[in-house]
Amino acid sequence: MDFNYTPAEEQFRAELRAWLADALPSGWGETVFEPEQEDERAMFRLAWERKLHAGGWAGINWPKDYGGRGATLIERAIFAEELARARAPEGINIIGHNLVGTTLLRHGTEAQKQRFLPKILSSEEVWCQGFSEPNAGSDLASVRTKAELRGAKFIVNGQKIWTSFAQYSDWCFALVRTDPDASKHKGLSFLLIDMKSPGISIRPLRQISGENEFNETFFDDVEVPAENIVGEINGGWTIAMTTLAFERGPEDALARQVRFKQELDRLLVTLSMQKRGAGKAIDDPVLRQQLAKSIIEVEVMRLNATRAFSKYMSGDDRGSDASLIKLYWSHAAQRLYETALDALGPIAPLAGNDPAAAASGRFQLSWLQSKAFSIYSGSSEVQRNIIGERVLGLPR
Amino acid sequence: MDFSFNADQTALGETIARLLADHPALLAPQPEPAQQSAAWDALAELGLFALLVPEDFGGAGLSLVDVALAVEALGAGLAPPSAVATLTATDLLVRYGSPTQQSELLPRIAGGELKFAIAVLEPDQGYDPEDVACSFAEGSLRGGKILVEAAAAADMLVVLARDSTGPVLLLVDREAPGVSLRGHDDLDLGSGFCAVTFDAVRLEGDAILGTAAPAQAVSRLFDAGATLSAGLLTGIATRMLETSVEYAKTRSQFGQPIGAFQAIKHRCADMAIALEAARSTAYYAFWAISEDASDRTRSASMAKSCCGESARMICNEAIQIHGGMGFTWELGLHRFLRRARVLEYAFGDAAWHNERVVAETLATLSEGGAEPAVAA
Repeated sequence: MDFNYTPAEEQFRAELRAWLADALPSGWGETVFEPEQEDERAMFRLAWERKLHAGGWAGINWPKDYGGRGATLIERAIFAEELARARAPEGINIIGHNLVGTTLLRHGTEAQKQRFLPKILSSEEVWCQGFSEPNAGSDLASVRTKAELRGAKFIVNGQKIWTSFAQYSDWCFALVRTDPDASKHKGLSFLLIDMKSPGISIRPLRQISGENEFNETFFDDVEVPAENIVGEINGGWTIAMTTLAFERGPEDALARQVRFKQELDRLLVTLSMQKRGAGKAIDDPVLRQQLAKSIIEVEVMRLNATRAFSKYMSGDDRGSDASLIKLYWSHAAQRLYETALDALGPIAPLAGNDPAAAASGRFQLSWLQSKAFSIYSGSSEVQRNIIGERVLGLPR
Repeated sequence: MDFSFNADQTALGETIARLLADHPALLAPQPEPAQQSAAWDALAELGLFALLVPEDFGGAGLSLVDVALAVEALGAGLAPPSAVATLTATDLLVRYGSPTQQSELLPRIAGGELKFAIAVLEPDQGYDPEDVACSFAEGSLRGGKILVEAAAAADMLVVLARDSTGPVLLLVDREAPGVSLRGHDDLDLGSGFCAVTFDAVRLEGDAILGTAAPAQAVSRLFDAGATLSAGLLTGIATRMLETSVEYAKTRSQFGQPIGAFQAIKHRCADMAIALEAARSTAYYAFWAISEDASDRTRSASMAKSCCGESARMICNEAIQIHGGMGFTWELGLHRFLRRARVLEYAFGDAAWHNERVVAETLATLSEGGAEPAVAA
């Protein structure tokens, strides 16, 4: 066990820190913030992602052959720490980077890797995920969207739901049924679908936060070239499991931790400045107890992720332990935002553009958004089943 | 950066666990002091107490992180409390002991001849060392301590007191004239908690542990005590989760193992989550205190708070999962419940540590550095 960094790692950190200081607008995070309007914000994040790539900071631990930096998981962790420190914006091609890229690196053909990976890293192509359907939520293997192989093409018909960022996406990866007669896990395939294909339509779904990040996506006789299958036909479930291991895994958790850490720091600063009677809000000892829990829990998210990195670096396989990581951060983050509202006390109800709102209503929005954490990427109930059965070995 | 234990550290943990497994009486519903003494002797014979002693004094020269998994095993096996108290005292002597103290005490510690107890708490006081009332003046120690674990078994006491400079740590022979003990009636059947009275106890010249930097020695005692307690709590939590999972696999009701019911399965999953959080904070704190990292105090407090909360939840759930059996005296789960709860109040309770976490975090933020503190 050693948390000291090598000179090379310190060098990586110093270079990144200098680059970030230069790349972010002056006053960033203090007087200059992201656009409020949702589409503008999405485009701002896309531009930031492309800037990271142009600076050589995309795909930190991806192989150099596919446009990555070829760095270690430790440098990946340093990258997350520095982004948190600089209060850097989030990206929008998260699904491309964290899910499609990692899945293709494991299971894609060489041609698929060459075709797709560089454009994911550059965020020239933004991706969305076609897994859930109206009748296939926690029971993912019951997807019904059908793909029929006709000659050199699959013909896709059906509906996906909760497709985040579909409105900005160039590509979608989808779990589709290619053999309706096989048992439910065995008739599935993993397809890469061009979102510009004729027959695809999307309809935005409004979320409890008022935002329209996710969508319903309809496929009506959509043609997909046969070479866009990942893995074997009817072998899609295994591929999907890889995707889910990454979706729930430490890289994803660490990227989220960056945001939670930023917002927690912002909360602490806000409370340190906010008058409450004769003193400051931060002086309340009851509140401080609650805040301590969130400080600890946000740190645990980081430590859990770096512990997993160490396991992977010493050769352990990625597996069901991703569920431990996801189940932890999702509920800890929900508690963070519950605490954030409690901490704001009487002005907690003031949101959005109200001039008296704290931190431009950031915490109210995050509180609403956080309700999804324990539902997406596999609900907490599904995660608990996985942990119970595959990590602890309890009977089904 | 590497967050995994090496082969030696892992093997040491396993060795201690195996050794303690040969002393099942430690887990008995009602432990006996004689059994604790036998387990101590076995640990000493194995060389546990030589590990932290520098090679110059006949030890192995290891640091606290090297014994982290061993401490976890001590927790899981309900090892005699003298063991961890002695490791704590050793760490302080190595860091802050005078040359005389080191040459007199460290070889004897390495040989397993000295048991320590740590005397910190006082009646009508909280945890803040600044509030200590025991006084050391003109070579005499006066005052009283409570909740001194395994005091009757100890040869030496590390006593928090105040002299003209403020809080200091003193090395006191347990059999010195004027030292008297009264055994407490307490929750934990294996703790051997005592109230200790110092009635004008004369201490020879070199009695202060850390004369050059008394405040730093006191601060390290609290951080080391919190970190080692966190390690013990993690061990207890590990054992209680394993025991619960095993029971859920074998106990059958309504025609199936109870672990097949989500009501039980999901409880176990939540226990596993709590345990992973405890491990993350405890292991990091062990590293931070070994390196004397800039975030040593914050890490120790995070670990103590988090591991206490996790162990509490896991022990409570373990009893619930075992149903009526869990509530029986004979099954002995109460030993872990009691031990974990008592450890929660040692070297600062959750509220005290939480406050330190907030204060340390705000101090870091106001310095403008929001990144995690790392030793450069």
